[in-house]
Amino acid sequence: MCAACGKAVLFAGKVSIVEFKELLLRKNKASRKYILLDGAMGTMLQASGLKLGQVPEVLSFTDEELLIGIHRQYIESGSDIIYTNTFGANRYKLEGCGYSVRQAIKKGIANARKASEGTDCIVALDIGPIGRLVEPTGDLKFEEAYDIYKEQVLAGTDADIIVFETMTDLLELKAAVLAAKENSELPVICTMTFEQNMRTFTGCQVSAMALTMEGLGVDALGVNCSLGPDELVPVVEELRRFTSLPIVVKPNAGLPDPVTNEYNVGPQDFAEKMVKMAGIGATIMGGCCGTTPAYISELKKALDGAEFVCERADIPSAVCSASNTVIIDQPRIIGERINPTGKKLFKQALKEHNLDYIMNQALEQIEGGAEILDVNVGLPEINEKNMMVDAIRAIQSVCDVPLQIDSTIPEVLEAGLRIYCGKPIVNSVNGEEESLNNVLPLVKKYGACVIGLTLDANGIPKTAGERVAIARKILDRALAIGIPKENVFIDCLTLTASAEQDGVMETLNALHTVRYELGLNTVLGVSNISFGLPYRELVNQNFLTMALSYGLTLPIINPNVVSMTGAVRAFRLLTGIDRNSMDYIRNYSGYAPTKAVVTEKTADRGNQAGVMAGTDGTVKGTLEYAVENGLKNEGARLTEQMLETMEPLDIINGTLIPALDRIGKNFEKGKVFLPQLILAAEVTQVSFEVIKKKLAADNRTPVSKGKIVMATVKGDVHDIGKNIVKVILENYGYTVIDLGKDVDYMTVVNAAIEHKAKLVGLSALMTTTLVSMEKTIQLLREYKVDCKIVVGGAVLTPEYAKQIGADYYAKDAMDTVAVAREVIG
Amino acid sequence: MKLDRINVKEAFRYMGYGSSTPDDNVLSIAEECERLLLEVIDAKYVYRYFRIEEICTSDTTDRKAGVILDGCDLALMGNSISEHLKGCEGAVLFAVTLSEGVDRLIRKLELSSMASAVIVDSMASAAIEQVCDIAEQEILEKLSDRYATWRFSPGYGDFPIESQKKFLEVLSASKRIGVNITQGGLMTPCKSVTAVMGISDREVDRKRRGCSVCSMRESCAFRRKGEHCGV
Repeated sequence: MCAACGKAVLFAGKVSIVEFKELLLRKNKASRKYILLDGAMGTMLQASGLKLGQVPEVLSFTDEELLIGIHRQYIESGSDIIYTNTFGANRYKLEGCGYSVRQAIKKGIANARKASEGTDCIVALDIGPIGRLVEPTGDLKFEEAYDIYKEQVLAGTDADIIVFETMTDLLELKAAVLAAKENSELPVICTMTFEQNMRTFTGCQVSAMALTMEGLGVDALGVNCSLGPDELVPVVEELRRFTSLPIVVKPNAGLPDPVTNEYNVGPQDFAEKMVKMAGIGATIMGGCCGTTPAYISELKKALDGAEFVCERADIPSAVCSASNTVIIDQPRIIGERINPTGKKLFKQALKEHNLDYIMNQALEQIEGGAEILDVNVGLPEINEKNMMVDAIRAIQSVCDVPLQIDSTIPEVLEAGLRIYCGKPIVNSVNGEEESLNNVLPLVKKYGACVIGLTLDANGIPKTAGERVAIARKILDRALAIGIPKENVFIDCLTLTASAEQDGVMETLNALHTVRYELGLNTVLGVSNISFGLPYRELVNQNFLTMALSYGLTLPIINPNVVSMTGAVRAFRLLTGIDRNSMDYIRNYSGYAPTKAVVTEKTADRGNQAGVMAGTDGTVKGTLEYAVENGLKNEGARLTEQMLETMEPLDIINGTLIPALDRIGKNFEKGKVFLPQLILAAEVTQVSFEVIKKKLAADNRTPVSKGKIVMATVKGDVHDIGKNIVKVILENYGYTVIDLGKDVDYMTVVNAAIEHKAKLVGLSALMTTTLVSMEKTIQLLREYKVDCKIVVGGAVLTPEYAKQIGADYYAKDAMDTVAVAREVIG
Repeated sequence: MKLDRINVKEAFRYMGYGSSTPDDNVLSIAEECERLLLEVIDAKYVYRYFRIEEICTSDTTDRKAGVILDGCDLALMGNSISEHLKGCEGAVLFAVTLSEGVDRLIRKLELSSMASAVIVDSMASAAIEQVCDIAEQEILEKLSDRYATWRFSPGYGDFPIESQKKFLEVLSASKRIGVNITQGGLMTPCKSVTAVMGISDREVDRKRRGCSVCSMRESCAFRRKGEHCGV
């Protein structure tokens, strides 16, 4: 701690490579001001005749001398660390090459060892990406990725250090680092491949990589491959802003010519450009594609004469997803809506495992202005741990705001922390011993931020002083196990004003002390303040404004309430954070507070256009008309109106379904096209939601004609077709149990049995995945599941459907409705 | 590479509109869809030129039909690709992608508006063809004064779709443009294409591929209506 300001001093002095201390000491490299890596392996192998597409690891066995020779050349050029020839030595890439992962890795390390005999060169187990992407873009499960890396790590215990390089996906890298940390004691270096736009191909930011990987406890991090040294300067500068770890740079020799495969930056040029890196904070350097021993020799010469001076900056308090870093240098809005407490529809969605509902809650809050989302899925009758994992996966597949994992159960927190892609917040720990002992180690291990509640075994203390004491205790305990100060946020707890009026100022005073004396970011759940009072919004908004003035940085609110989000934005404007009021103007320019449901902006576009999409003379202003013309808001309004005098079922059977039928018929006749059909279904969907809400309010169970299990089969990740069918089926009143894409055969069988589904729908897009469809059907038959099976998908034909044992073939969504009517009614 | 417009007409054809014009409601949604899509497209491609070492067709040899490329561990197998590359001295292997942002946008729209998702999906399919055209042009410019056949992709005719994995490896497509493959052999990001073009010093037959080598010919909705998908 700095005596003068009480701030944790992370960077006393200059950048160095001390973090490798023990290893470097052992290898007589502790006094070095930089560490020299090697150059490319692939380039050298290709120069010796390796064909493109051949498995390079095979050469470790078939041409051992070649490999040892290459390693030696690099050592002679001055490399302190050499990378083994094991970049693609994983079970997926080695498939069919004749060598196992274990053999390839052991041999790769043995060759490097042989080459470095008699030197103090460090041998790094080199591991590249798997070659298949993890979900949601790819089909690889996080656990599968972990397992693949674990196998490599366990095979590589003979190395001195583990390097993960050329990574593009942050979640895949997280699986790799966890596999290394949990299965070996070796130091870990990781580098990702950033493009000119400062992101990887999967959109990962430099800051997100630095924050997440430093949190997971790697020993050095940086960038490799990608581009030439010039283009990587901004990447290194950005890394320096967000990490205190040693920075690695291993660029390409420029870019390759696609015809000659030659790179455009020569050895001397490369070395000169790399000297710049020394001045901006890199201390571990080498070359990637296109570089050779000549490059490394030149690099050594240049770096020996370089000045390694770079003052470190303070690392900001920040959270992130892979593609969005939120720095908490100003009040940031945490959305509270993903939480079942007191919400009937949310509880029902959890019971039905309705992830779409949760994803929509997330998107709605972001639209409202949320910058971080709290995720709480605790409900006694469900498996909270599995639900947390599924919810986080689903949310991160469609939005990029950082998440706050909210549970009282440590196992749930850990499950969420594992698969979260980025640096999250844990909600929460408190001053109780049990909580501190259970939660803080998880926060440390996964590199998260944590909210500390100022309560303990004796409950919430009355006075500000006592709450600050608990805050201090939580901070001390966090610091003691290595959680940095900037990762600790304190919640001084909002009490209800109507019950404990004097408590309001105690909360605010405690908050002020925590913010300005302890120097921590502060959290408050705001809405609790007004419980039991009329016109709660007014009290909430005023309390929020007061709290912000007292130093609140992380308000937890309902961002969909305009006055609450507005209070934060106005505060940022008035305190000069929002420079030139840019953000405020962007959000509220032209805004007129109104309670009307249909404003000009949200009015249906089709209204003015006066479209008559396949209408057979339906009257404007009716629900039928709204459905047939795709008018969503109009549909919702009219449904509400009709519910005042009509029974829900009568609306569904008397109006919605006949309207859908009409448009469906016109679709079949070719008078109406797919987008219109779906638009009509969307209006029906909105109508159904209105009806559902009404039923929930009346404590009645929602109407369903019966359950249908749907899945895009194993191996297939294209599921838009299935999703279209799902929307249409739901709007005919069927409950669809959507198993998603790339679904295991057995999962389909289990779901069909569990839900007693009368109909199972399977979809496949490619010829290669039709086999999976057939296998799923076989298994359904083997287990004698009492259901009919309908199949569809681009490459299917009625004949083929019959051949693989399906009961029905449906060419499109309307066809599937016909099948459902026949089977279920 | 930057796209300014999307071939919307083509996209509507994919949606089954044939020669019909979409109504104003759909058109106005489509306009918004085009804007969203153009914002997220990050088109990239990678290619390599290989000299053709040997072409074995069923009538020239009793060995398996296929094309052997110099310095490339992937042989292009099958009669269709061998026929396609007949008379060429070299071949360009290339991979193109609209990148992962498109997948993400479609996933998001599927939640808020399935109709928009369907429209964006079709537009992205049209866009990737546009990108292929531009890539092809740029590649040909670098191979000055040479002629190229039409693009031919794994999965057409008897050119095995299973070659996809190695195809991408040969191009280092994962490293260079972020295109990977799933266990089921599908490329990710979803809107990605791989293809081979035959290259020759003399003018060659472009050999548009047509329905005869298409794996979809039995189930194709265009064919059923007597139309053509355009490739």
